[in-house]
Amino acid sequence: MKKSVKVMMMAAAMMALAGCSSNKAPETTAAPAETTAAATTGETTAAQAEETTTMPEGVAEIVDGTFTVGIGQFAEHGSLDNCRTGFLQGLADEGIVEGKNLTVLYENAQADGGTASQIMDNFLAKKADVICAIATPIAQSAYSAAKKDGVPVIYTAVTDPVLAELAGADGTPVGEITGTSDKLPVEKQLEMIRKMLPDAKKIGIMYSTSEINSVSAIEEYKAAAGNYGFEIVESGISTTADIPLAADNLLGKVDCLNNLTDNTVVSSLPLILDKAAKKNIPVFGSEVEQVKIGCLAAVGLDYVKLGEQTGKMAAKVLKGEKKASEMNFEVIEEAAFYGNNKVAENLGVEIPAELADSAAGLFDEITVK
Amino acid sequence: MTIVLGVLEEGLIYAIMALGVYITYKILDFPDLSVDGTFPMGAAVTAMLILKGVDPVVTLVLAFLGGAAAGCVTGFIHVKMKVRDLLSGIIVMTALYSINLRIAGKSNVPIFSKETIFENEWLTNHVPEALDPYVVTIILLIIVVICKILLDLYMQTRSGYLLRAVGDNDTLVTSLAKDKGMVKIIGLAIANGFAALAGCVYCQQKGFFEISMGTGTMVIGLANVIIGTKLLKKFGAVKATTAVIVGSIVYKACVSLAIALGMGASDLKLITSVLFLGILVFSNMQDGRGKTHA
Repeated sequence: MKKSVKVMMMAAAMMALAGCSSNKAPETTAAPAETTAAATTGETTAAQAEETTTMPEGVAEIVDGTFTVGIGQFAEHGSLDNCRTGFLQGLADEGIVEGKNLTVLYENAQADGGTASQIMDNFLAKKADVICAIATPIAQSAYSAAKKDGVPVIYTAVTDPVLAELAGADGTPVGEITGTSDKLPVEKQLEMIRKMLPDAKKIGIMYSTSEINSVSAIEEYKAAAGNYGFEIVESGISTTADIPLAADNLLGKVDCLNNLTDNTVVSSLPLILDKAAKKNIPVFGSEVEQVKIGCLAAVGLDYVKLGEQTGKMAAKVLKGEKKASEMNFEVIEEAAFYGNNKVAENLGVEIPAELADSAAGLFDEITVK
Repeated sequence: MTIVLGVLEEGLIYAIMALGVYITYKILDFPDLSVDGTFPMGAAVTAMLILKGVDPVVTLVLAFLGGAAAGCVTGFIHVKMKVRDLLSGIIVMTALYSINLRIAGKSNVPIFSKETIFENEWLTNHVPEALDPYVVTIILLIIVVICKILLDLYMQTRSGYLLRAVGDNDTLVTSLAKDKGMVKIIGLAIANGFAALAGCVYCQQKGFFEISMGTGTMVIGLANVIIGTKLLKKFGAVKATTAVIVGSIVYKACVSLAIALGMGASDLKLITSVLFLGILVFSNMQDGRGKTHA
């Protein structure tokens, strides 16, 4: 008798724990997910998020029917959050609006592969019509989980879908899975660095050995660097804790640093920027968020746009216009230049007029996160 | 139904690893952290071998052997170099991160397009379509049962008796003129072999190797063992190995239930801890005496 009372108490405790958390997780309910993304990604995104909530009514007609989309995000991270914001915007543009005819299930795997596959099982159990997977590892989990049931998967922020075996060598999907790639414009970035720093010889790149995207980007940089008279000095790290030492070591050897979209490194970017600023060494970014927080410049992607493009693909699948297996994965063609005037001033570097004129964004201050 | 199959699949895969943790934690009283490294090691070995065209069934054996070798290293460091148990596990786990990257060549290796034990020509030709959704679970069940029977049989051999004796009363082993260090090494080798085998099966089922997949393996293993053995303690006739397998499934069911109830996936680790602590406290109260190391 006594035993069963204890069991009951434990069960009650678990339920209470689960209950209070569900109240705290607005993403899984009907409230707009944009608010959470905006909270983490600073002012500009907040503005975009406002647009998202106001725009849909005027732009697209609400499509008949009800849809459920499961969004599985691999890690908590500015670029990936922007992808999600963009994705919902893209769906809204096509008349599939959250809270009206769309239920969004959102889960974040916090960079844990085991969690990723359970998230997918959960989405399937809740009968998601489409699964959106943000970043490579979770896209692979989604593919292997959804394959059985034939639920279409739309991925984004997968740098190399071919290498990840999510698409064939010619770009055709391997199954009911397609999406967008966030492949870095390596050549354009190198060209930009050459214009900014005519005398620089060595570019330092820090990356984490556990991220496949970074490893393939490094190879591409190494192959292309010679064409622009650069030499790449790489420094592989395995955890966030390695970054301070690796940064000190690398900064002693190079003329500038260049960032990839490496999740681990980007999360610790403020630390790297601080160290680099003390030595007056410029740091180049790979996307707009990084320039906002203090990178000198970047030729990079706008992840919100990437997300929008992905959302439109998902809308086609939801409306039944096309199957996922009939669409090749897409990339964003035009990479944009972003620069930070304040950082340039601090470093005593001038952003060449040619670049400044074509800039998609120039920032006059450093946003402190 | 999807969720039940999902729970069974995940639970059964981790059950293989939990059988290993059962040996180290329950029998040898050795908190072996190296499983966090041997689990992805099994997956790395598997992904590599499958890409090279090795038969998926053969990879099961080779992954086990690879894990066993790593287990021997943990044992060697502990027994011969006299490093504390927890530390030897941590040392091997850390080293394996680099070794796994070397084995796999990169941090993420997909094998979607290759044949695995779950997806191959033989199965497509011989399994009726109606059974399709259950194939993975059935194959996993077969593997787990084979592992369990082999382990049970091993426990009845001379070497198995010595293994149990080292955990209970190591003076006895010494008085029998046996090297208890050697017995510990064998125990660790088997345990890590099982962890690597679980990694191998996991990799084949999910279709890719990812360097981060081993994080928290040890904690899951411990939870499985403790939940299983404590829950089924009342049923004396149930073998500990069976209890461990049931424990794995119960554990995954709890996690799944928590997600289904609306808990964020980011809170999963907290659930694990609470569940873990709850079971420990509950069973200690039941025992009426607190085990200091549990």
